[in-house]
Amino acid sequence: MPGRLVRPGNDLCLRTIVIGAASETAAVRRGFWAQRRAARARRTSPNLRRWTAPGFAGPATVLYLALVFLPLVLALSYSLTNKNLLSPHSSYVGLWNYHELLSDTVFKQAVKVTAIMTALIVVLPNALGLGIALMLRAETRLFAVLRTIFFVPVVLAGVVVSFIWQAMLTDYGVINSVLGSVGLGALQQGWLDTPNHAVGSIVAVATWQYVGFCAVVYLAALKAIPDELLEAAQVDGCVGFARFRRIIWPLVAPAVTINTVLLLITGFKLFDYVKIITNGGPGGATNNMALNIYSVGFTQNAFGLASAQAVVLFAIVAGLSTVAVLLLRRREVEV
Amino acid sequence: MTSPLWLGRYRSAFAVVVSAIFAAPLYLALVNVFKPADAIRAHPLALPLHDFTTSNVASAAQLSLVQHGLKTSLIITVGSLLLMVPLSAMAAYYVSRWDSKVARLLMLFFLFGLMLPPQVVLIPTTVILRHLHLMFTYWGVILNFAAYYLPFGVFVFSGFLRSVSRELDEAGAIDGASSLKVFWRIIFPLMRPATASVIVVTALWTWNDFLSPLIILGAAHGVTITTGIYLAIGTYSIDYGQEFGVMFLASLPVLALFLFLQRYFVSGLTGGATKG
Repeated sequence: MPGRLVRPGNDLCLRTIVIGAASETAAVRRGFWAQRRAARARRTSPNLRRWTAPGFAGPATVLYLALVFLPLVLALSYSLTNKNLLSPHSSYVGLWNYHELLSDTVFKQAVKVTAIMTALIVVLPNALGLGIALMLRAETRLFAVLRTIFFVPVVLAGVVVSFIWQAMLTDYGVINSVLGSVGLGALQQGWLDTPNHAVGSIVAVATWQYVGFCAVVYLAALKAIPDELLEAAQVDGCVGFARFRRIIWPLVAPAVTINTVLLLITGFKLFDYVKIITNGGPGGATNNMALNIYSVGFTQNAFGLASAQAVVLFAIVAGLSTVAVLLLRRREVEV
Repeated sequence: MTSPLWLGRYRSAFAVVVSAIFAAPLYLALVNVFKPADAIRAHPLALPLHDFTTSNVASAAQLSLVQHGLKTSLIITVGSLLLMVPLSAMAAYYVSRWDSKVARLLMLFFLFGLMLPPQVVLIPTTVILRHLHLMFTYWGVILNFAAYYLPFGVFVFSGFLRSVSRELDEAGAIDGASSLKVFWRIIFPLMRPATASVIVVTALWTWNDFLSPLIILGAAHGVTITTGIYLAIGTYSIDYGQEFGVMFLASLPVLALFLFLQRYFVSGLTGGATKG
């Protein structure tokens, strides 16, 4: 989006903006040819013919229809029935399940818990990931090793991460024993015992596991910032926070979009930690929608009611990620 | 590039301290693999210097849940990949090389699957698999994973195909080779970096997944390594030493894969995410 880089009332970075604007016009020109090329390239490959083309997409489409799209449609239709695994017959009950959910305190708490945890999970790994990326962006051997360390939790199983943190968070766990042995016994507490602590602990675990991923996405974005832009900024005395605010932040906008949307989805489907570390406790404080659908569906076998919850979850995730993409795309700039 | 003054000089030291705090849980998980259970309880953070032992790993490897789980996870991961990689590569070829409304809609249709939480479709999936007599079988889990991760494959492959020259298609077509032959002999080998990324990332996700095998395989019928750990620690209350041994064995394959194929992880996770 040309011109977005230019912000009025900021003469500190004036020269940078001129350079930025120049490269933007180049980008627009390049973009034009790229579009023309893409349009031409859009034209059919001679390797595909009318009767062979569907053969390429067919098998994947069938599998996807059968085990992703059909289940989604079925979830919608189950949500209008009183289907229960234990009874062979089910009947149409209209919007009854949704009406039930309005007065279902467990469900309403699950929605609230999901909203709080997701909001924190969208913000914390995102912000810390950007900080880590800025901290470790230099190409030295030491920093390469440190970058690897931050990425290790990303590849570990959620189950493994849950048990490692459980060993740390329980009353006689590592965190409390370390606090005791360094004379900070006053800070010892039940990290999973009160609702706030439990939610905070789950968010901390999620942050620990996903911050490395966010950092890697930001590092890729930082690497793509042209050096001449940063050098020009430096010549102008545009350094420190001004440089971050005016140059780096706008240019890592696509990375912000990616991380935000992925963390949003991650937050809504969070299951392993709340199942293993707290099992939804204490008193439902960490019983999020994902875990509640699991319990209602597979412990109480109430497929109809659980499906209504699944549909609500889907509507929220689809709506929010669309809004997030649209809002965040608006502030993305081209270099 | 310069940094803020307060950071500039001590940047490396600061980064090392932050990383050390971050790595503390990893350190904890690693040192306790090699300590006897009572030493873990007494000194969880100590290095296993005088009481180094490999008996935790050995006894974890003896657990039938672990042996069975590792085998099942391997079968399911490999099976899902064998199904999902060719199918998504071919579908990506269609949506990025065939110019029609249907192809564009199909692309959107696949992309939409990227944001679908598994819990939304899990209940009906079990009903469908039950009808197909695939519930509580390897095939059920494999088909579920292959279908669920297809959008990711289509996304990465179609992003990569944009950079593959179309003249190669033409050359193959002129030689009179069949469409499939041109695809498998010429196009697919060219997509090797994308294939590597898709394989590495999908393998990671299927190996680490907990919810689907828990429901579709059903604990009573079979365990993967993740549900195996869950049962071993949660239900059979093994000792602390064994617990760390089990987690070590479960993580070893992904860590090895990660250390050797690091660039494919990063390009798969970020390239897949940044393109489009």
